[in-house]
Amino acid sequence: MKRREVIKNVALMLGGVFSAPTLMAMDNWENATKPNINGAAFSLTETQQRIVAEIAELIIPKTNTPGAKDVGVPAFIEMMLKDCYKTPEHQSFIDGLDSMGKVKFLELNTDERRGVLKLLEQETKKITSKTTPFWRLIKELTLLGYFTSEAGLKASFEYVQIPGKLELIKLKPNQKAYAY
Amino acid sequence: MNLNIKANKNNTFDAIVVGSGMSGGFAAKELTERGLKVLMIERGHEIKHIEDYDTAMQEPWDFEHRGKTTNLSAEERWANSRFWGLGSEEVVNHLTNDKENPYIEKRAFDWIRAYHTGGKSMHWGRQSYRWGKHDFESNAKEGIGIDWPIRYEDLESWYTHVEKFVGISGQKEGLEVLPDGHFLPAMPLFAPEAHFKNKMMERFNRPVTVGRVANLTQPQDIHIVLGRASCQYRSKCQRGCPYGAYYSSLSGSIPAAMRTNRLSILHDSIVAEIIYDEQKKRASGVRIINQNNMLTEEYFAKIIFLNAGSINTAALMLNSKSNRFQNGFGNESDQIGRNLMDHQLGSGATASIEGFEDDYVYGQRPNAMYIPRFRNWGNDKQAAYLRGFGYQGGASREGWNRGVGADGFGADFKQGLTKPGAWAISIGGFGEILPNPTNRIYLDAEKKDKWGIPMIVTDAAFVENDWAMRKDIIASAVEMLETAGFKNVTPYDRPTHMGLGIHDMGTARMGRDPKTSVLNSFNQVHDCKNVFVTDGAAMTSASCVNPSITYMALTARAADFAVKALKKKDL
Ligand SMILES: Cc1cc2nc3c(=O)[nH]c(=O)nc-3n(C[C@H](O)[C@H](O)[C@H](O)COP(=O)(O)OP(=O)(O)OC[C@H]3O[C@@H](n4cnc5c(N)ncnc54)[C@H](O)[C@@H]3O)c2cc1C
Ligand code: SF4
Repeated sequence: MKRREVIKNVALMLGGVFSAPTLMAMDNWENATKPNINGAAFSLTETQQRIVAEIAELIIPKTNTPGAKDVGVPAFIEMMLKDCYKTPEHQSFIDGLDSMGKVKFLELNTDERRGVLKLLEQETKKITSKTTPFWRLIKELTLLGYFTSEAGLKASFEYVQIPGKLELIKLKPNQKAYAY
Repeated sequence: MNLNIKANKNNTFDAIVVGSGMSGGFAAKELTERGLKVLMIERGHEIKHIEDYDTAMQEPWDFEHRGKTTNLSAEERWANSRFWGLGSEEVVNHLTNDKENPYIEKRAFDWIRAYHTGGKSMHWGRQSYRWGKHDFESNAKEGIGIDWPIRYEDLESWYTHVEKFVGISGQKEGLEVLPDGHFLPAMPLFAPEAHFKNKMMERFNRPVTVGRVANLTQPQDIHIVLGRASCQYRSKCQRGCPYGAYYSSLSGSIPAAMRTNRLSILHDSIVAEIIYDEQKKRASGVRIINQNNMLTEEYFAKIIFLNAGSINTAALMLNSKSNRFQNGFGNESDQIGRNLMDHQLGSGATASIEGFEDDYVYGQRPNAMYIPRFRNWGNDKQAAYLRGFGYQGGASREGWNRGVGADGFGADFKQGLTKPGAWAISIGGFGEILPNPTNRIYLDAEKKDKWGIPMIVTDAAFVENDWAMRKDIIASAVEMLETAGFKNVTPYDRPTHMGLGIHDMGTARMGRDPKTSVLNSFNQVHDCKNVFVTDGAAMTSASCVNPSITYMALTARAADFAVKALKKKDL
């Protein structure tokens, strides 16, 4: 597929707003005050699941620490969309996956896939509708699923279950963030 | 908890306390410690301290949805989940199921409820500030609402009494606008906050202090005997603290009352009505409905404390009709349910902070930074609105979720997010709302809940004063963050209703004149002196500081008065 067509398809599918990272809690409120549209019917086809898994793994690849697939992010994303998001987001997500299908995402090599995602990221910034766009959804759910999973959290941060004290400290070179 | 109904002939006690939350717990403690046999009646299910904090020790990955509100929770807790984080599976099951306990929003009201042992004291943010002298005097000076029948001096020693028992960490500042209390050692301000504090003093002569918070930084004997230990700085307080390190009725007042062996607690029992004895011209007891089996029962006592939370207390009074009180219990003034106040919340500003890259924190501070009221204070005079606001907020280093809005993905991106991010700061205002008789709750004339009790209707909204103040909350936040040299200063203004401050109050106000108020200066119902109301319903104005220690101080003062009066046979 020609690059121009890729751009066109990616641009077409973007139907949501790009908002700066709002606090998650803000999302909760918006979620709570939106008209309640039952989203229980949401599910993905096998191909869609594969696309989700490949994108999640590109966002958080396996390195010397586990990657998105290792900690079950793909299934987490589908479950979260079903349980915590409503019809507009479901539609936005499915539209995004459709566009990925149109650019034959699964047939591209890793570099090409990265290229598509970079483009997607830039195009997402131009969106002004109210529904969260596909890229934002898949990115936020990948990061949430990964960094709060047991393996992902413990590999990424210094996990402190019970700090026992509160101390102002100086950061050591290369020190990881604490997670609680 | 032992319930010894059989032994108490005719279900009779010295005192009945309705509600086991912040103020009810304190009433039970004060009354039992003064020798009274007390029955505390709680409409919700029992929660046992520590044992029933089922999520307290769970790890982040134990939560299936990792803290996000599910569609199901949002549907069941349609009001509670409007507040930040209360829809999360970390806490949601400890908040009232709004679908099963609906109320009618004539005008929308964000009513946050926790029907169980301890009430909202299990979930509160623990910010604890004394009122200032001005808070008791402004109504009279400005001709707003009615005058308080008491002054700061009447409550001063009771604040100390409450603070010692509760255990409040804070910094003495010597400010008239925010009187010092009896404090445990203060928690630290973080480096950028200390910078902000200095700048605010330098440029605006505005003090900034660390939050005054009901977490034990250094437990005293009075806490240790109750099994309360030092804070471990996990900042997961809203799940319930396994160390009893923050104050709630569950960790503090109820255990203290139990130690006297004079407290009985009845759970699952909705107080539906106050029983009035027309002959003796006093309340003789209450009628309850068991929330599970619908059975009703009556309990009797010499005095009754109403601590169901301001809205439920007003509803209970309105629902208690008799020959004497045809318009609701003690409602000659028609003020019950009216003057519903709260603090406006949800507006302020955020900024990113350059520098301080080496500064980090070990542990999570369950607390914030506080900027006391500076508007309409001292030489400041605002033409657009009366009263003022304080800010709560603070600085922290960004976590992995900064990655959501940032560009990038892949190995380096992943690696970068394992490091602490840049510092960012956020401050939000808590603004005083004035008493207004048309802001109210009332009972629906026809619709009943599943126990046959008339449904509560909320009918309140912000008025011009609030909107003008809100504008200034945002503008001043922006000005302060910019003045401190912070970057990307961004105002925020979340759409909200009254109620979101979770400081609902005023629905059975204190005053001198029975024609315009419901309670006298010792929180007695003017027209029925053996009934006391000491939750937020009693408030004649709202101040802009968090109210709970004031409710507790009023409660302790009224309990002391009640027991002395009983002994003198005045009641
Ligand atoms: C998330 C959150 C943060 C907060 N932060 C702060 C803060 O930082 N500082 C502060 O000062 N305040 C804060 N608050 C507010 C604080 O929790 C309340 O001011 C306080 O709990 C009110 O005490 P109360 O006794 O009036 O009501 P509650 O604590 O709500 O207790 C009322 C009790 O009465 C029971 N009840 C109701 N109706 C009946 C009936 N008919 N029969 C029998 N029982 C009944 C209820 O089930 C409940 O247990 C916060 C609240 C929340 C939820
Ligand atoms: S921060 Fe302190 S009070 Fe809060 S849950 Fe942790 S130990 Fe308990």
